Amino acid sequence: MKTWIKLAWRNIWRNKRRSFISIASVLFAVLFAIAADSFERGSYEMQIENMVMFSTGYIRIQDVLYEDEPSLDHMMMYDDALLDVLDGFSDRIEYTVPRIEGFALAASDRRTRGVMVMGIDPDQEDRFNGLSERLVSGSWLEPGDESVLLASGAADILGLDVGDTLVVIGQGFQGINSSGLYPVKGIVQLAVPDMNNNMVYMPLAAAQWFFGADDMVTSLIVMPDRPRNTERLAGDLQTALDDEWYAVLTWQDMMKDFLRAMEMDMAGNKMIILILYIVIGFGLFGTILTMMLERIREFAMMIAIGMKRYQLALVCLMESIFLSLIGVVAGVIITFPITFYFNRNPIPLGGEMADFMAEYGFEAVIPTSIDPVVFVSQAVAIFVIAFLIGLYPVYKVFRLQVIQKAK
Amino acid sequence: MTVIKTENLVKVYNSKHLPVRAVNNVSLEIEEGEFTAIVGPSGSGKTTLLNIIGGLDKPTEGKVTIADTDITGLSDSKLIDFRLKNIGFVFQAYNLIPVLTARENVNFIMLLQGRSQREMNERAEELLTQVGLSDKMDVRPNKLSGGQQQRVAVARALASHPRFILADEPTANLDSQSAMNLLDIMWKLNQEENITLVFSTHDQRVIDRARRVVTLVDGSIAKDEVREPVVPAQ
Repeated sequence: MKTWIKLAWRNIWRNKRRSFISIASVLFAVLFAIAADSFERGSYEMQIENMVMFSTGYIRIQDVLYEDEPSLDHMMMYDDALLDVLDGFSDRIEYTVPRIEGFALAASDRRTRGVMVMGIDPDQEDRFNGLSERLVSGSWLEPGDESVLLASGAADILGLDVGDTLVVIGQGFQGINSSGLYPVKGIVQLAVPDMNNNMVYMPLAAAQWFFGADDMVTSLIVMPDRPRNTERLAGDLQTALDDEWYAVLTWQDMMKDFLRAMEMDMAGNKMIILILYIVIGFGLFGTILTMMLERIREFAMMIAIGMKRYQLALVCLMESIFLSLIGVVAGVIITFPITFYFNRNPIPLGGEMADFMAEYGFEAVIPTSIDPVVFVSQAVAIFVIAFLIGLYPVYKVFRLQVIQKAK
Repeated sequence: MTVIKTENLVKVYNSKHLPVRAVNNVSLEIEEGEFTAIVGPSGSGKTTLLNIIGGLDKPTEGKVTIADTDITGLSDSKLIDFRLKNIGFVFQAYNLIPVLTARENVNFIMLLQGRSQREMNERAEELLTQVGLSDKMDVRPNKLSGGQQQRVAVARALASHPRFILADEPTANLDSQSAMNLLDIMWKLNQEENITLVFSTHDQRVIDRARRVVTLVDGSIAKDEVREPVVPAQ
C-alpha cells in the first residue's frame, strides 16, 4: 500500500502547475462554501440564541392550552406539586425561570400605551438573560419590590423616568379587573426595538397579585445542565408531568415556523454551493481525465508487466482523492482563522439591513459559525465528489485494452 | 525442451472495410534457453505474434502453450498473474514509470510479486550493477539516456526471475553503442542464466546475435533457420 500511495502522490506532481490549479480550484470552492455556510449558520445560530435566551428558553413548561391561545386564562399552577416534580430532575436542570406575561394599559400623567407586563423572578431572570446589564438608570428589582422596571423606549413614549409613578390597568385571570400604581425603579435598554417600546418588568409576586393569579405563572422556562440534553430532558419532564395540564415544549417546538423558514433559506444556499461544486467537479474531472489520457500507455505497460487492474485503479482513485484532499485541507486551514475571527468579532450591519433585522428583533450583526459541522460537511462533500470523479479512471482501467497501448 | 509452442495461430483484425490477417497459421516451437529473433518487414505480424506469445493479445484461432500452460484459455486476471511470474517484457519505448527511480522501477515488479523490501533492494542493486547502472540507481528515467533507460527496462524484466524475456524492437530507439551494450547484456543473460529470449526486430545486429531467426511475411512464417550466432568480443 505504501508504494501505491507513493506512486499516486508522485503522479499528481508530474505536472505541478496543473495540479496547483486543480488544488486551487478546490481550495477556493471550499473557502467560499465554508464562508457562505459559516455566515449563514452563524447568523441563524445567533438568532436562535437570542430567541432562546430572551424569549423561549431551551425548555418551556406551560398549560396545554397556552400554546394555541396564549391568554392569562391558560396559566398553570406554579406550586409545590410542580416544584416537587422538578426537584426530581435537579441534577439535570441548571435552573428554572418562572414568568407571568399579560397585556395591560400603562399610563403616565400625559400618555397611555399598551404594554406587555412581565412578572419575573429578578435573580433567575437575570441569570437567564443578563437583563440587569441592560439597566441604564435606576436600580435592579428585588423579589419583594412593589415597583417596576421600564424599557427605555416605553419610558420615552410615556415621558417617565426613575422615581416616577406608572399607572397600570388591565384584565387579570378569568377577566378580573386589575390596576395598580408602581414606582419606576429602573430603566432598561433592550436590543429589540419592539420589546424596548413595550416592556414592563415586575417582580413575580407583584405581577401575580396584579393579575389576580396567586401561585400561577404563564410559563416556566427550564434550563438544562447541557443544551444538547434538551430533547431528552423535555421528554422525561413530559412523562413526569400530567399531560392533561402541562405541555413541555423545546425551543424547536416553539420556533417551528422560524426553523422551517431557516431550512428553506439554507436549502437555497445549498443549491448555490451545489452548483459551485458541480463547476469544481468538472474542473477536477478535466485534470483527472488529462492525467489519465496522457498515461494510458503507461497504464497498459503496468498491466502488461503484471500489475493487477484493481491495484492500478486504486492508484488512480488515490490521485483524485489526494488532489481534492490537499485542496480541502488547505481550504479549511485558510478558512478556519477567518471564520474564527468573525465569530469573535461579528460584522456589524448598517443601513436598511440593520433596520430590517432590528425590526425582526435581531441584533444587526453577522457572526460566523465555527461549528465543526460547517467544516466537516464541506470536506465530506468534496471527498464524495473526488471519489465519484475518481471512479472514471477506475472504470477506464478495467476496460483498458492492453495490447492497443503497450507497445 | 520446448517451452513455447504456438499451434496454427491466426489473428484477424477487423477493420471497417476488410479484415486483416496479421498472423496467419503460425506454428512454432521454441526451446528453453533459445535466443530467437522474429524478423520481417513492417506489417509482417512480428509484434502481433510476440504479443500473443506474451499473453498481451488473444489469437482469433489457435493455441499458445507456455511452460505447459495453455495461456489462450486464461482469464485476464490469471494472464496478468502468469505474465508476472513467467515473462519479462522489454518494450521499444522503454516504458519505465517516470515518477519512480531506476531502483524503484526494478523493485516495482518484485513488489507486485510480494517480495520483502530487503530482497527487492538486494535484487535491484544486483541487476542494476549487472547492466552497468550502479551509479544511477536513484535517478529518475528523465535523467537517463535512451540506452540507460533500456538497460533499466532489462533489469526490470529480469527482476521477477522470468523464464522468458520477450522484447519488441528493443534497440529501435537506441544509438549504435547503446544497442551493442544492450545486446551484450542480453547475450550474457542468455548464456549464463539460460533465459529464453524472443525478440522482434529489424536490427541486423540483433539478428546476428540470435541462434534462431524466424522470418515472417504477411503473417506467415516464410523462413525458420537455426545458425551460429555472432559471439560478442570478450
